[in-house]
Amino acid sequence: MQTKFKWYMSLGFILLIVSFIASSLLGVYQLNWNDFLLLFKSIFDDTVAVNPTDAYIFFDVRMPRTILAIIMGAGLAVTGTSLQGMFKNPLATPGIIGITSGSALFAAVAIVLGSTIKSFLPEILHYSLISIAAFIGALLVMMLVYSISFKNGKTHVVIMLLAGVAIAALAEATTGFLTFISKDDELRDLTFWRLGSLGAANWPKVIILLVINLVSLSFLLGNGKALNAMMLGEENARHLGIKVKKYHAKIIWLSSLVVGASVAFAGTIAFIGLIVPYILRLLLGSDYRIILPLSAVFGSLLLLTADIISRTTLAPIEIPIGIITAFMGAPVFILILLQFKKAL
Amino acid sequence: MLAVNQLNISIKTRRLLQDINFNIQPGELFVIIGPNGAGKSTLLKALTEEINYSGEINFQQQSIKKWTTAKLAKTRAKFSQHHQQDIPLPVNEVVMMGRYPYFASKPNLTDLKVVSESLKLTEMSAFKDKSYNQLSGGEKQRVHLARIFAQLNNEFQEKLMLLDEPLNNLDVYYQHKVLEAVKGFAKKGNIAAIVMHDLNLAAQFADRILLLKDGKMVKYGNPKQVLTSKTICDVYDFPCKVMSHPLAQTPMIVFGEEKSTSIIQNINP
Repeated sequence: MQTKFKWYMSLGFILLIVSFIASSLLGVYQLNWNDFLLLFKSIFDDTVAVNPTDAYIFFDVRMPRTILAIIMGAGLAVTGTSLQGMFKNPLATPGIIGITSGSALFAAVAIVLGSTIKSFLPEILHYSLISIAAFIGALLVMMLVYSISFKNGKTHVVIMLLAGVAIAALAEATTGFLTFISKDDELRDLTFWRLGSLGAANWPKVIILLVINLVSLSFLLGNGKALNAMMLGEENARHLGIKVKKYHAKIIWLSSLVVGASVAFAGTIAFIGLIVPYILRLLLGSDYRIILPLSAVFGSLLLLTADIISRTTLAPIEIPIGIITAFMGAPVFILILLQFKKAL
Repeated sequence: MLAVNQLNISIKTRRLLQDINFNIQPGELFVIIGPNGAGKSTLLKALTEEINYSGEINFQQQSIKKWTTAKLAKTRAKFSQHHQQDIPLPVNEVVMMGRYPYFASKPNLTDLKVVSESLKLTEMSAFKDKSYNQLSGGEKQRVHLARIFAQLNNEFQEKLMLLDEPLNNLDVYYQHKVLEAVKGFAKKGNIAAIVMHDLNLAAQFADRILLLKDGKMVKYGNPKQVLTSKTICDVYDFPCKVMSHPLAQTPMIVFGEEKSTSIIQNINP
């Protein structure tokens, strides 16, 4: 199993590097391999002369976008895997149980109502205003779903899923309403939220998300043993010295933080947390000590690939990335449901 | 030593256990018996702090509430009556969970060795790479028993193994195998407490027996003291006779009414 893990890990990293290069070269403005090498060299060597347009496209447009996709993909996939472990169900992902919707709902309210104060704040704070709202939304939904669907260490799957449906409906209705009352620029923002896009990536966002995800993942990636033990049931996990409640609290807070920040910067990108762990489980089994680190790498890979597809297929038009991930994720969702039917 | 003093447990107005007192010395195999609803599992739950109680439980001269989680995980293990049916992992990974208190992220050589020894002990070595989910009920049970043995395989003294009906799905061979392994564990200066229903197995293996009924202690002592015709018939509300086991020389309990000789004569004229 260790060798298999290392093999997949290396494969993931190689594919990630390939996609990273592809993402920085592909697009309406074409860059080629030599440009890439030259631009890359110029980072370390000031004397290398580069075309200023190339440099702008590379460093200020594609790099932040690519890196944002990598960080966000890792965060969303690890969050999905952690929630699945906590709820002991493959459907328990931020999108399906309504955390993403709740987060988007609060962020949407912050965009429309916050527009009056926004102009007085420096840029970095204005991102954090929406981020904080998105985080609070995620956390509230997370706690709601946890408290109503988790009883005596068991998950009530139906209630968990219906909570997601209810919260998604509420979020949809509210964003719909806000669309009506909002001004033009707010409207553009709102549309972007509902379908998701990495198009607004820039360096400040990258840095904020990097800090949030580094902190969160450093706590979440080490939970493999605890999540495995929880498969035995909560009491049995406790007998193995696992402080179950502490881990649950950790997962609830950090997942909300990651999902909130991702929603704040890229809107609702669905299904990353569902697809990645599902495929890894199919290939490697359910040992969370292996699945957690791998889902970080393959989550990055999936979101980055989806972003490349979203901006190259119909170039110069961008297909919202949420549509791409939904096309990939919905079949997986149906497959999981079919497996459930068999298990019943 | 495990000392239980004036243990009382009630949920709402229902009293589950009343005034339970006993001491178990290291090296002893302690068996808890009694009819359904007597409070056997509740007693084990108190010993693992899964339920609120009043009274004192002292383990190695210290209140069990004062033990740290990390130390307890290496000194006390529990086999629960109900197990998760769906654990999508191979058998040896489930047993490896018993070693989780011992390593941070990667099992070391000792952990791997202990896992394979424990699998051998419950005769599950041949299944080690099989998926847990594909096993039968009895096999799953042996996996969890191996996990418990792996958890307590260390240098510490006077460890506590709690087993709630570990024999339920096992055939006669494995019932004896498991009890022998538990007895061997106790003999090394540890304590094993088992809840079970088979009185004859209890008589053969137990050093001390606690007989419970309706949350109260009926009798506590060695098998010969506890397992008498009168007590057993009264407690289980069923006719029985206690004899001497022809092989083990321990008390042997037979349940049932004596058939009148006339019927037997009719069958064999």
